[in-house]
Amino acid sequence: MALNLEDYFLPASLQEASTLLQRYGDGAMVVAGGTFVHGLEVRGLLTETVALVDISRLGLRGISESGNGGVSLQALTTLAEVGAAPLISRNPAFGSIGDALQYPPRQILNVGTVGGCVAAAAPLYDLPAAFLALDGQVQASLAARQRAIPLNDFFVGLFESALQRGEIITAIELPAPAARSASAFLKLETNANDLSILNVAVRLTLDKDGKCADSRVILGGGVGETYVRATSAEAALRGQTAGEASFAAAAAAVVDDFEAVEDHRASAAYRRHIAQVYVRRTLGTALARLG
Amino acid sequence: MSLIGKSPERPDAFDKVTGGKAFPVNVKVPGMLHAKLLRSPYPHARILSIDTSAAEKLAGVKAVLVPSEVPKRKFTPVYFVPANAGSMVQDMLIMSDTVRFAGQPVAAVAATSLRIAEQAIELIEVEYEELPTVFDPEEAMQPGAPQLHDHATNNVAVNPVMGFGDLDKGFAEADHIFEGVYSSHRVHTCYMEPRVCIVDCDRQGNFTVHSSTQHLFGLREKLAFALEIPESKVRVIKSPYIGGGFGGKLDMGYIEPIAALLSRKTGRPVRIEQTRHEDFITTARHPIKVYLKTGVKKDGTFTARHAKSILDTGAHATHGAEVINVHGVFGLLMTYRCPNSKWEGYTVYTNNMIGGGYRGYGSPQACFAAESQIDEICEQLQLDPIEFRRKNAWHAGEPHPMVQGLTLDSYAFDECLQSGAERFGWSKRKKADSGKGTKKRGMGFACQPLWVSGCIGFPDIYEHSGAIIKLNPDGTADLATATMDIGSGQITTLCQIAAAEIGLPMEAVHMVQNSDTTTVPVDAPTHASRATYSSGNAVQAAARTVRERLLMVAGIMLDISPDQLSVVDGKILVKGAPKRSLSVAEVVTRAESPFVQHGANGPAPTTLEEKGTIIGVSSLAPKANPSPVSVEFVEVEVDTETGVVQVLRVVYAHDLGKLIHRNGAEGQVEGGFQQGMGYALMENLQFDPVSGSCLAADFLDYKMPTAVEMPRDIQSIFIESNEPSGPFGAKSLSEPCITVPAPAIANAIYNAIGVRIRELPITPEKILAALGKL
Repeated sequence: MALNLEDYFLPASLQEASTLLQRYGDGAMVVAGGTFVHGLEVRGLLTETVALVDISRLGLRGISESGNGGVSLQALTTLAEVGAAPLISRNPAFGSIGDALQYPPRQILNVGTVGGCVAAAAPLYDLPAAFLALDGQVQASLAARQRAIPLNDFFVGLFESALQRGEIITAIELPAPAARSASAFLKLETNANDLSILNVAVRLTLDKDGKCADSRVILGGGVGETYVRATSAEAALRGQTAGEASFAAAAAAVVDDFEAVEDHRASAAYRRHIAQVYVRRTLGTALARLG
Repeated sequence: MSLIGKSPERPDAFDKVTGGKAFPVNVKVPGMLHAKLLRSPYPHARILSIDTSAAEKLAGVKAVLVPSEVPKRKFTPVYFVPANAGSMVQDMLIMSDTVRFAGQPVAAVAATSLRIAEQAIELIEVEYEELPTVFDPEEAMQPGAPQLHDHATNNVAVNPVMGFGDLDKGFAEADHIFEGVYSSHRVHTCYMEPRVCIVDCDRQGNFTVHSSTQHLFGLREKLAFALEIPESKVRVIKSPYIGGGFGGKLDMGYIEPIAALLSRKTGRPVRIEQTRHEDFITTARHPIKVYLKTGVKKDGTFTARHAKSILDTGAHATHGAEVINVHGVFGLLMTYRCPNSKWEGYTVYTNNMIGGGYRGYGSPQACFAAESQIDEICEQLQLDPIEFRRKNAWHAGEPHPMVQGLTLDSYAFDECLQSGAERFGWSKRKKADSGKGTKKRGMGFACQPLWVSGCIGFPDIYEHSGAIIKLNPDGTADLATATMDIGSGQITTLCQIAAAEIGLPMEAVHMVQNSDTTTVPVDAPTHASRATYSSGNAVQAAARTVRERLLMVAGIMLDISPDQLSVVDGKILVKGAPKRSLSVAEVVTRAESPFVQHGANGPAPTTLEEKGTIIGVSSLAPKANPSPVSVEFVEVEVDTETGVVQVLRVVYAHDLGKLIHRNGAEGQVEGGFQQGMGYALMENLQFDPVSGSCLAADFLDYKMPTAVEMPRDIQSIFIESNEPSGPFGAKSLSEPCITVPAPAIANAIYNAIGVRIRELPITPEKILAALGKL
């Protein structure tokens, strides 16, 4: 696989980075933690890439509260930093984030970034599924323009996002969770160095009677080109008492929400089976987190 | 003796944890070119034409090699047999105009940079005529199947049949007959360092070779044979380290002879380093399907055993011609006592990649079949599986079941079973599928009752070792041997054996780092669990000569008979007169000093007898082939909703004769378990069913257990039966460590959930399907 890389840039400002991306267009790739550059190369996915734009000098690191209990994760915050943040770990609503961080290989926790795993725009990553369950949005910058893109609209296709040429993710924002919300995440993998075969992130919001006021059920892994929001499963939960019966109904419904991939890693039938088991299990975990 | 059984620091530890420069992949030679192979996208094809003109015109390209330019002598690339061995199949060419597997090299380019070489191979135009393919060995054996080689009717490369007794009578005498089909798959050894070589041809046609190899002399012989030149024209450099082998570097690859021919063409050194994807299609454990039929008495005594094994050797026979025999003899025919036995092996050509060596060499496939079936028999007949094995086992002092003239001098199967079962808590095992809840636990075990310490007694297999040890005036020793340390600690154990035999501290013995095939005695490869036993014997013999010479010189210096002297921790001690001791350094200095020495009383001559380097040289074959024995107990937890299996804990008991290096031995057990567990549960080299191309690019695709999946509790019990022919009583350890995990895990899974999986790997999907949930 001949590698055609010719240039490597380390811009000092967002402006400079955007300019480079605009100049090279499809020939440029943004690198933050750089944990999957090799993975792309050996699969022949970098043959068109002539320039790497390394944004690791841009700062963009840190986690802060953004009004009413929402959280803003700057794009270059590492996976380890997210895992260590009390703002995340103390809030059961963000439980899915802590769960998702149990899976990436230890070797990349200190370099892999929040923005990177979202920008990759492949449903094989863990953290974006958790962010989707929390109705997160992307902050993106292009020259002087800053705009918010809901994650629901962000993932367009495999390796295709809503980012425009030159646009760079600066933060992931999670809105303040409603009261009595909890989330959870599970991933099926073969070993600890694996992209998701199938993953499930859920968020459960209960009303004062313990009924399910709102929920998100997100599927990733071998479910198609993008993450899938399992609306049938969510519908099965709506208004129901949170518990075994409604969770089983949601699990049964989830098979209608996606076309399971059939490949050498798992059969479609197994993926459908696991989706059901994991929907039930993640909902159970989320409910337990509400005490 | 005080050093033996301890864990002195590995001499290579510091170098390796700080990055270790001394691997073949780090070697750079001035002026070297980089070569790349063009590989066929088709699994079976005839090359009609090759146009290299565009590639040759690319700036920086120095040479292109195509099949018509390679020597026409067919060879087997396997290192540990003579190149023309009658039991092997000489069916390979360096490059052929018939392609038999996807990925077979069809051309090569040497250029001034790797990037230019990569660009150049894409400019080569090859016109192929595609041929019909066959990927399943049993289909390949059918009349009318596509034929891969003219010499192999129905694609059967070799077909060994062995047995004894009367099979019909044995089955007639049986109270119960059990039949099962057990199949295994293709896995890679996953050595860390890729296969890599640099070959430099000088103007007289002498080749100097650096390669990541398990066998210096094997590479010398096979390269010389393939190039049709005398062996003395090839010098193979011993790299201080290689980044793992596990049997995966036991044959000459395509890269060495191709680099050699490109170097001869260009007059410059040529380097080829394989990518991980190329490594995946270079060597693998052979898939073997075993049809196993066993007759037993009510009490569990074997009356008859019949096995048929079908091995998928891929495009060429290579190791497949030998793996099949080891598999049949040491995995099925001779493991237990059974009066009426027959085994038939079929090594079958297919359009799959060529199989290779891998730790265990055919035994894991057999052990999975045999030890799974014993568990099935015990389950159905309500027999105690430990007692069952005891009843059918060999015993110490009996003739070696395989090698005529040898005896099982040390053989502690009983002790392995008993101490393993006790430590593990086997008596607490519950009935199959008796757990409650979704996660169920189970216990299982498996045995490797018969194995090797090297290859004495086996047809066509080299079994030699040699060592040169010389002492330095500062009291240290240099040990040179062709035995490769393939990561499993041979540098440490051989230095330890030398130090213990001479009487030096461990740190005083250094492994020579830059020997080569011109400077050290001939040696068999580091394989077949042989290095500690066979090379250890050679090192001990050389060390004994060193000690004798040392004491002779010390005796002259002290004017005392050498039998009154001993060497302890670098000092020569006089019996009954400790104050008269000398240091080894003083003795060596004296031996190498000028003949006449000017002392306080003027010039004084020394004696001729004490003059010269204190050196010991050995080159020998070991006297025996003692069998180690191993038993492994595991506990698993099966998630019955997902099918995911977690191994919770392991107890491994092994009769190794005498423990040499404790940490190293535990490393063998734990590393073997990791590979064996990967084999049992997840590892699987997969191929596109139509194109035959390998689906694994790297370790994201090829799944092996990481530290996270490993059980936290692995205990090793080493039984010391004291093998009389071994160094300090030692025999072998390595391979049984990888052989027993798969059946032990399969048996534990059965105990947990009550279903039997007879096809490796035991994936979550297979478990759910067996539970009727998928």
